Amino acid sequence: MINPGLSSLFIFLVFVASLLAVEAKKAFRAVLFMSLAGLLTAVIFVLWKAPDVAMTEAAIGAGFTTFLFLMALNRIRGKEK
Amino acid sequence: MKKVIALLLFLGLLFFLGTGLEQGLKLGDRNTLAGKAGEAYLKRTVNSADPSASPSQVEYGSETDIEENAANTLTAVVVGYRSFDTLGEVTVLFLAATGVMALFFASGKKKRLALAKPNFILSVSSGFLLPLIILFGAYVFTHGHLTPGGGFQGGTIIAAAVLLLYMAGNAYKAPATGLKVLEGFSGAGYLLIGLAGLLLTGFFLNNFLPSGKMGALFSAGVIPVVYILIGLKVSAELSGIVSDYMGED
Amino acid sequence: MHTAGQIFILIGTFFMFLGGLGVFRMPDVYNRLQAGTKATTLGFMSIALGVGLSQPQWLLKALVLIAFIAFTNPVSSSVLARAAMKRGIPARKVTRHD
Repeated sequence: MINPGLSSLFIFLVFVASLLAVEAKKAFRAVLFMSLAGLLTAVIFVLWKAPDVAMTEAAIGAGFTTFLFLMALNRIRGKEK
Repeated sequence: MKKVIALLLFLGLLFFLGTGLEQGLKLGDRNTLAGKAGEAYLKRTVNSADPSASPSQVEYGSETDIEENAANTLTAVVVGYRSFDTLGEVTVLFLAATGVMALFFASGKKKRLALAKPNFILSVSSGFLLPLIILFGAYVFTHGHLTPGGGFQGGTIIAAAVLLLYMAGNAYKAPATGLKVLEGFSGAGYLLIGLAGLLLTGFFLNNFLPSGKMGALFSAGVIPVVYILIGLKVSAELSGIVSDYMGED
Repeated sequence: MHTAGQIFILIGTFFMFLGGLGVFRMPDVYNRLQAGTKATTLGFMSIALGVGLSQPQWLLKALVLIAFIAFTNPVSSSVLARAAMKRGIPARKVTRHD
């Protein structure tokens, strides 16, 4: 049985993490908060009985995208110097 | 002022979504008509002529089912019914990887992102962590028809192993030509399986292999073969993106 | 067997709770990593062993998971601590150098 209260709590946490990612002053922090939002979304997918989507979200949304953004930040900073 | 408006909009959206979740959607409610129909569809049995027979008759590991014996129903949908959509997804991923490659190619040769001093603990432990990670990725995409997971997830895990190799030392460089050959051959293999289905059964990407017993490793007909090909293709593509980002030489 | 598994899961949950409390209470990054890694490694091992004992068909997979966690968790913690040190994140005054 799916618990609506628990999934509502995680949806709220995803909103808070996305808001922090938008409002963050440093790009590095924004990337990290976006990764956190992806991880919490994966938890929501697990709660809603979709483990396949949760695995994809945890691997790509929280892991791979973070790597891509961090590497892009690194490249941009290297050019600015 | 701008921030106050943004916050108000955010709270309004949150309130809208939250109330919609509590009252309109009612997740997991099985007493509505849609919930009953969905549950009956998911739990139906096809062993007897009566479609409304008791679902407890299906035994894991011994019975056969119409969904090509994939124990993971989602896989039967993704690679069985909607295999053509999956072909489109794989094409989209291929186009994205090509775009990344073109972008890096246009901006000229990049130096390999070198670490000042590679972490000794990481470079030693990556030696025996790497086979385990690749084995886990292969397990995820070969068992895609039995457990949650599949080609896309397993491919991402293997690409993470390539990323670990890049992080562990300065000497490693992904074999770009080999990755492209692997990607091309597995993509072509997917299309060839589709054409074989067209030739043998009359429908593109239709199942033409015996579907075996539900829950066994060699079951579900063409689904595990397709998922292995997708896993190889996705892992090659994402590893190519990783090596593009980390730079050449 | 089932009861033994549940006892192991309970012990593991306790250690996980201690790890979370340590992350919450410790003063700086290095101390937090120490608390968060050691306690949760032991907690996860205990939980996996408990699951393997209460469901004997999963015992082999649980043992493989335990071995994998024993490899990966210390490595990731050391990498994180090293990255924090290279970035120059200062330790609090209560943290003494060895």
